[in-house]
Amino acid sequence: MLKIDDYKLVFMSAGLIGILLFASPTLSLVLRLPGGEKFSELWILGPEHMAEDYPFNVEAGEEYLVYVGVGNHMGCSAYYVVYVKFRNQNEPLPNATAATPSPLPPLYEYRVFLEDGKTWEAPLTFSFSYVSRFENQCLIEALIINNVTFSIDKSTAWDVNNIGYYYQLLIELWIYNVESEDFVFHNRFVGIWLNMTG
Amino acid sequence: MPLFVSADDGASSAISEANDALRRAFEAVLEAERVGANVSGLIVKLNEVGGLLAEAEIAYKNGNFSEAVSKAKECSGLADGVMDEALTLKGKALAMGQNIFWQNLSITLVESAVFLIFLFFVWDWFKRFYSKKLMKMKPEVAVDAED
Repeated sequence: MLKIDDYKLVFMSAGLIGILLFASPTLSLVLRLPGGEKFSELWILGPEHMAEDYPFNVEAGEEYLVYVGVGNHMGCSAYYVVYVKFRNQNEPLPNATAATPSPLPPLYEYRVFLEDGKTWEAPLTFSFSYVSRFENQCLIEALIINNVTFSIDKSTAWDVNNIGYYYQLLIELWIYNVESEDFVFHNRFVGIWLNMTG
Repeated sequence: MPLFVSADDGASSAISEANDALRRAFEAVLEAERVGANVSGLIVKLNEVGGLLAEAEIAYKNGNFSEAVSKAKECSGLADGVMDEALTLKGKALAMGQNIFWQNLSITLVESAVFLIFLFFVWDWFKRFYSKKLMKMKPEVAVDAED
């Protein structure tokens, strides 16, 4: 049989647990528990909102459609800038290890404000004009993104291994950093390869 | 004395001001969100303003400076409006948060006090019950195992 002091300890523990339970709604207002992993998503989908049927063999005068999407899991609302860049095979990609963006200038941009846990998606249409070929080079003079024309003058050499004139439509995600009061590359980028056929 | 006039008709400074206004508006919205305000409506408005700023930037890149200035100015005005709304919402959320806190604290104190009084009575009853049980026990002589 337990001694009276042991029972006293049981009652005191029950009292403490009870007080903690009753105080939990108030404590939850004061204590901030650490959340889960903070990250953002960036994606490109094909014209049917699926990860398939991406434009690949492209030609001048035709319009192509993809969808760009962003997901926010940063634990609070976030301010993103999605940059659309266009590169040939020799121009640098972002460096995921060093978390540095591609030095190419952005052509088009989306400014996106997203609450935590929400996603955003927007259409991205593009077409090419003034495409010419000479010797083993292909030159694109103008790229039209969402009905805005950009003069790019971008050439690429014939790729013997993959048989084609390859370019890449590159999408980078940048995020506004409240501490530095500036946008920083969020180390998220996606791209689709395009083979200029005509 | 040479007079330098910006070639872009003030478009770059208008865009820069719009950028700053939008950042300030976002920071105000973030502050409001941190104190528990529902900022969904403000986020929708920020997206509209952000769209305008993106259009201004694209117009500027394409050399359409007058369009860039007009969109950037519209963006600045709207962003300032969002910031004002966010500050109002933050004030309301703070007041509501304090009310909720004091309400919760009062309920917690009352609940805890009632629980402790109840526990004290149970303890008192248990002590008497335990003593009574102890008194009723008869002393027994244990058999020495070594014998």
